[in-house]
Amino acid sequence: MTKRPARPAPPPPPAKKSIWLWVAIGAVIAIALGIAVWSTTGNDPKVSVGTTGTDNSSSSAAETQPVTVVGTALAPPPQSGADTAIGTTPPILKGFTFAGAPIDITPGGRAKMVVFLAHWCPHCNREIPVIEAWAAGGGLPANLDIIGVSTGVAADRDNYPPSAWIVKMAWKWPVMADSAQSDAALAYGVAGYPTFAIVGADGKVKVRNSGELPVADLDAMVKKALAS
Amino acid sequence: MFAVSVLAMERFFALLTFLAGGGAIALVLARVLPSGAQLIDMIRPARLWLAWLVAAVSMAGSLYFSESAHFAPCKLCWYQRIAMYSLALLLLIAAVRRDSGFRRYAIPLASIGALLSAYHYLIEWNPSLEGATGSCDITVSCTAPWFRQFGFISLSLMALCGFTAIIVLLSIGEGASEPSERSNEDS
Repeated sequence: MTKRPARPAPPPPPAKKSIWLWVAIGAVIAIALGIAVWSTTGNDPKVSVGTTGTDNSSSSAAETQPVTVVGTALAPPPQSGADTAIGTTPPILKGFTFAGAPIDITPGGRAKMVVFLAHWCPHCNREIPVIEAWAAGGGLPANLDIIGVSTGVAADRDNYPPSAWIVKMAWKWPVMADSAQSDAALAYGVAGYPTFAIVGADGKVKVRNSGELPVADLDAMVKKALAS
Repeated sequence: MFAVSVLAMERFFALLTFLAGGGAIALVLARVLPSGAQLIDMIRPARLWLAWLVAAVSMAGSLYFSESAHFAPCKLCWYQRIAMYSLALLLLIAAVRRDSGFRRYAIPLASIGALLSAYHYLIEWNPSLEGATGSCDITVSCTAPWFRQFGFISLSLMALCGFTAIIVLLSIGEGASEPSERSNEDS
């Protein structure tokens, strides 16, 4: 059986070298904190929020805008099984573009594909060129409108501000700026980015899809939605 | 009252990441270059405390970003937290007890953490490697970093440098004046 003394040997007094090592580490940490504070003073980003006039007909230019939801919000899609939102009428979204011009997403009239996008989401950044390639290749039917919704806006994340990001991504279609609370996305039951929601000319939800889609799958989804 | 902004804290921890990563590289070079023996001899007596300092600062940063800055941790962040928080506690006990034999347990734990953070950093730049849904969760996503200081330092890279620094520090063996791992273990 191994003999085990009650306590380990007491530590020897610290060497002079060790003291200087700890002093140097403390100094480097303090300098790093000083540099961090000094280099960021006055640079803390804030999300700009649009403000409307009394008649709600326009808003100031901003990265997020107020959104009014009229109707019942769609439930988020289930983890598995059929999407219960299919065949139901989505709520009307009344909002604004980044520039403050009014823009509505109203079910009925023409079929529309609403695409919920977050500027910081790498999957959205990969999907936008796919949508553009699909449309440029003749995939976009003449009877389908595309509307983007910039949502999940965060000033301290990649590609902020979204108004510049959407231009940089060469997005060709109208964009609604969602509210800071993502009211538009929540009204459509969005659980992930990007989310596609196709609303038919009859005003009913035809399909919702979350996640990247290659051109072929995007084309098949649109054709199936418009045929239903 | 003086309040440090979240942006300043992001930069502060990014600068510490340079320190941890640069320190780890310097120690590896010191191990292989004959002229590095002096640096190794200087670090050796403090290696357990230094490893604990790295783990403790990493844990403090992790808690700051989740609890104060409200950056919700993703699934992979939680796995890395399991490794780093355990190391912060266990390395403190090992340092107080001067138990250098603990490295046989700490290095595998830190290596698992390093592998997880390396994978996390990889999928931040290549989201397609994540497979499956290919979407960002509405609240938190492993593929979408909360920030990238200096264009490339995200929380996962901070963790990777922290784990690497701990591994390198614990890899420094005993000097002639110190008790061996076996004798320390038996004591």
